[in-house]
Amino acid sequence: MFKIIKKADIALFVLLILIGLGLSWWSLASGTQGQKVVVTVDGKLYGTYSLVENQTVEIRQRGRLNKITIKDETVQMSYSDCRNQVCVKDGKISRTNQSIVCLPNKVMVEITGGEEDFDAISN
Amino acid sequence: MQSQISKNSQRTKRLAISSMFACLALIFSYVEAIIPFNAGIPGVKLGIANLVVIIALYEMNFRYAFAINALRILISGLLFSGVFGALYSLAGGFLSLCVMWLLKKTNLFSMIGVSMAGGVAHNMGQLLVAALVVSNLKMFLYFPILMFSGIASGIMIGIVAYVIDKKVPKSLFK
Repeated sequence: MFKIIKKADIALFVLLILIGLGLSWWSLASGTQGQKVVVTVDGKLYGTYSLVENQTVEIRQRGRLNKITIKDETVQMSYSDCRNQVCVKDGKISRTNQSIVCLPNKVMVEITGGEEDFDAISN
Repeated sequence: MQSQISKNSQRTKRLAISSMFACLALIFSYVEAIIPFNAGIPGVKLGIANLVVIIALYEMNFRYAFAINALRILISGLLFSGVFGALYSLAGGFLSLCVMWLLKKTNLFSMIGVSMAGGVAHNMGQLLVAALVVSNLKMFLYFPILMFSGIASGIMIGIVAYVIDKKVPKSLFK
């Protein structure tokens, strides 16, 4: 059965696996250090904050409260009054295109790069 | 004269065989559409119809395999997946057939290697069209997943195609 596999097959297999691994590594690492934190509530822009300044922002809307903490160019959801707490457990993010979503409160925290023009094009 | 007749009879035979193969490929497409095999990622599937195409490529030639594949995709697009689905598949099917044909011509690869490359190329073609349609390069984040799934399903289909190819009488295509 296995006599039919030729050397070239194995070489091709290894090559494809390597390309696949390389691509997955690349796609994971492709984000660059972000510059801005964009908070949207229910799809609408709530506010934009610099990732460089250390601060804590309270996001109050419709009686719901979320807090994000920006520290050392990373941001995390430090408090949420939602039930599942998934967003709080997500931890810190710092690279572009990463995001934290709090579904129960419809809050989304995204990181974007500094240049607005670039974002407009890539979206 | 003798060779003319035998050539004509071969053409007729191949015409009949390819239409049968196109039907078979269509049935495989249908089977695949009703099997609830879903890995949770759009685009990951078995590609059983590729079995037929590979055997056609090995036993007949590129033109027959191409015609069978194109027919299969167009009809299954109209029947099951819709016109846009057919567009994706057409790109994938064409790319994968070209890759398989070229690899087969080198004579370096076995059916399994050829099928594996075909599986990957199929996914790549589909993704290219998808990225064009959505015009969003983020689509390529899917690529590694589709690549691995293409390798896995390509190897499986290659092994099955090899076994079937051994069993099919060669006189069918002569």
